[in-house]
Amino acid sequence: MRLVRAYGRAMWDARLILAYTLLVSLSLFILAPFLMIALRSVGKGWFGRLWLPPQLTLDWYRWAVEVGNIPEVMKNTLIIGVIAVAVSTVIGIFAGWAFGRRQMPGKEVLMAIILLPRMIPPITYALGVAQIFYTLELVDTYLGVALAHVSVCAPYAILVLSATFEGLDERVLEAAGVCGANTVKRFFYVVLPLIMPGILASMIFSFTHSYNEFTLTLLTYGPHTVTLPVRTYLAVGDGYWEITSAMAMLMVVPSLLILAVIQRRAKPEKLVGGFKGV
Amino acid sequence: MTDVMIEFRDVCKRYGTLVANDHLSLAIRKGELMTLLGPSGCGKTTALRCLTGYIRPDEGRIFIDGQDITGVPTHQRELGMVFQNFALFPHMTVQDNVGFPLMIRNLSKAERAQRVAQALRLVRLEDYESHYPRQLSGGQQQRVGLARALVYRPKVLLLDEPLSNLDAKLREEMRFEIKEVVTRLGITAVYVTHDQAEALALSDRVAIMNRGRLEQVGTPEEIYEHPQSRFVAEFIGLSNFLDGYVQAVDGDTMVVSVGGLQMRIPALAEAGPGQRVLLFLRPNEVELLRPDDPGGANVFDARVEKVTYLGDTLDYRLTFGQGLTLRVQSDAQRRLGQGAPVRLRFPRVRSWAMTSG
Repeated sequence: MRLVRAYGRAMWDARLILAYTLLVSLSLFILAPFLMIALRSVGKGWFGRLWLPPQLTLDWYRWAVEVGNIPEVMKNTLIIGVIAVAVSTVIGIFAGWAFGRRQMPGKEVLMAIILLPRMIPPITYALGVAQIFYTLELVDTYLGVALAHVSVCAPYAILVLSATFEGLDERVLEAAGVCGANTVKRFFYVVLPLIMPGILASMIFSFTHSYNEFTLTLLTYGPHTVTLPVRTYLAVGDGYWEITSAMAMLMVVPSLLILAVIQRRAKPEKLVGGFKGV
Repeated sequence: MTDVMIEFRDVCKRYGTLVANDHLSLAIRKGELMTLLGPSGCGKTTALRCLTGYIRPDEGRIFIDGQDITGVPTHQRELGMVFQNFALFPHMTVQDNVGFPLMIRNLSKAERAQRVAQALRLVRLEDYESHYPRQLSGGQQQRVGLARALVYRPKVLLLDEPLSNLDAKLREEMRFEIKEVVTRLGITAVYVTHDQAEALALSDRVAIMNRGRLEQVGTPEEIYEHPQSRFVAEFIGLSNFLDGYVQAVDGDTMVVSVGGLQMRIPALAEAGPGQRVLLFLRPNEVELLRPDDPGGANVFDARVEKVTYLGDTLDYRLTFGQGLTLRVQSDAQRRLGQGAPVRLRFPRVRSWAMTSG
């Protein structure tokens, strides 16, 4: 009997070791490119088959800021992000309410259309956007690039917020009504506090998508609206891997800040759990 | 009619072709606990929601305390309501939940705190003021719901299946707790449930609904002892039904032929010979005698078809006559095995005349 139990425990340990090995390997696999860029951005004279850079320097960052004009580019990226978030959230609230709370004919078809920009290859969609924007002279404007981003941010906002509104318990609203709250008070005291996490989640998603968006920006940007991903891509074309790596590292900082905020304030899987069927 | 608190007058509500409330008329007295009882889809919840104003009836009017409130919006109706899923505000503490109706009514902070404490004492949750609903058990959450409904002393308390989400043992405890609180406050209460045991235990009067109509309104005793229709008899308690026809009428009694047997039962005023009748027997209205017991009126031989052991009672399925079956419950003292012969006596048989066909 004791032998059986010992055997069982050994098997359990073996399984645990296997699981850890797999997960740690996967983490390393995911982290390897980061490590590469991080080392490259501070390494000097790192050529050939050396495991680690022989010298460390922050010169590449100085170059990125001064020559690459990163502060200006960062400003562009943030302004475009804020506009995209604002527009997407407003759209998301109204459309999410309609999708989440109302029974309406053609709901599935409409939802499919809204999700379309996310589903087809981005370059296809971006080409269409670019052609329309050239006609409307929206190319190389903050509003134009932000609107292009809305086409991918809004679907996320709508998904998150329709799930939020769907999760809003009708009975709780009814209870507030029976307790004496009129429509306005019901909204401010009950609805708003309950949907706030959803709105925040939707804003974070929209912002990260705008911030990371590359393809749509590439076809709608101009000299005044260069964003971080595009700037980095252009730098790759110039062939300076060290400076490009420094830019990439700078670009990651806001993303990590957001991730830290999410981790502390709310469980990220909970935010993602707001989705249904993505 | 000054002692009427709530009156439904000819209320109709349709959903497409489905009639949820079909000319519902019902008066509920002040201080009374009235239960709306019926299977799901019978219209009891629709009736309650017409009362809260969440649903607008298509026809008819609803009065509370003599005032026509049919067109009054929910938040002005001064009601208290307890919900099946508790419907507490998840983002508020117990104190804020209970204080919500008072905050809406702009009561001062001091008065609010005092009244909330009072309401929480009423439901024995004084120590949970700063808890959030998700930190409480189902029973505690429902007590918070009750406190929130009562805190502003509404004229009427509505309870929509308040115990359905609780487990069986707790349900029974909460039943008495609700009854006690309602009686102590002398408040008029409307209680919606599909659980007949709950309805019988709690109510001053029960209104049984079926397919949007009222089947019968009466005290639990009236409903149980004198069901006016097969639906009511079936819904409340266990019942046996036997089909028969009248052979002869003899003054106060009539002879009914049932499955080849003759039974003497109290005569129905409207039934002459040849009338089809439906006989109705509660499981406790059948006496189980020994097979050698002397015969007499309404004594028949039967056989045990099936025995089910229920702990304190035994549930028998008996066959007798030509293809008649009965369900009888008796205490577990004398145990009859499957196939055992037994003699039945029916001390009391009630009947309804059936329309032919």
